[in-house]
Amino acid sequence: MTVVPTGSPSDAELLERLRAGEQGAFRELVATYQSAMRAVAFAIVGSRNADEVVQDAWLAVVRNLDGFQARSSLKTWLLTITANTAKSRLRQQRREPLLDDLPAPHGSVDAERFADNGHWQTPPGHWELDTPEALLAEAELRECLDKTVASLSELQSSVLLLHERQGLTPQDICNLLDISLSNLRVLLHRARLKVFATLEHFEETGQC
Amino acid sequence: MLTCRDLVARSSGFLDGHLRLHERLGVRAHLALCGHCRRFIRQMELSRAVLRHLPEPDAPELEALAERLACERRQR
Repeated sequence: MTVVPTGSPSDAELLERLRAGEQGAFRELVATYQSAMRAVAFAIVGSRNADEVVQDAWLAVVRNLDGFQARSSLKTWLLTITANTAKSRLRQQRREPLLDDLPAPHGSVDAERFADNGHWQTPPGHWELDTPEALLAEAELRECLDKTVASLSELQSSVLLLHERQGLTPQDICNLLDISLSNLRVLLHRARLKVFATLEHFEETGQC
Repeated sequence: MLTCRDLVARSSGFLDGHLRLHERLGVRAHLALCGHCRRFIRQMELSRAVLRHLPEPDAPELEALAERLACERRQR
């Protein structure tokens, strides 16, 4: 039986250069995947140990390069190694309740936005800046968003980054972080509402 | 009939396409009638797009790490 590789052709090409020990290939690998690896480590061991876990995971990657079978994508393989490295490091329970919702700089879409009958009391207003490019051209807003993401619990921010920025599927995130799909959805939804509140605040006031 | 509060609670599910058929129809029926919620959904979509485009912080140690990993590999 032939195993059909699921890795992309560019994975195969990169892998060959990695196996040859080419520094440029490692630079490409680190630049492409390190932030996703960091988000996985962050979710499992927290901010204090995340960098160390990522370093250990990289060394494990180098050690296991010859064993990589291309049955999964390079990205899935790297993130699985990171999650396993993080889990073996984890001796204590998660330090935070799973769905803990910490206060964000600009709140969320709270109950007081709605009247008793459930309709908007304070409906969303018009946004002058209405494309990602226009919004991200504002340096102050970029900083502001970084603060909002930093205010999330470690698990919540990791879920947000892995889903929205890294484009991982919900199933992959659940497998890596050992959380249920319903918890993932709750975490993601609450995080998005906080990001929404930050953008709304900036649109209304022009400041962070 | 869904309220606006219900719609906000279902907005991520709607955008991610994992609502059940009757929930999805309920959201669509509400959106057909409610301009505030149409605006909210557009702004939630924009929020997601902004996060996708938010630049990643630079990794200053990139080159040093790449060098170290390449070196480890060649020594094996």
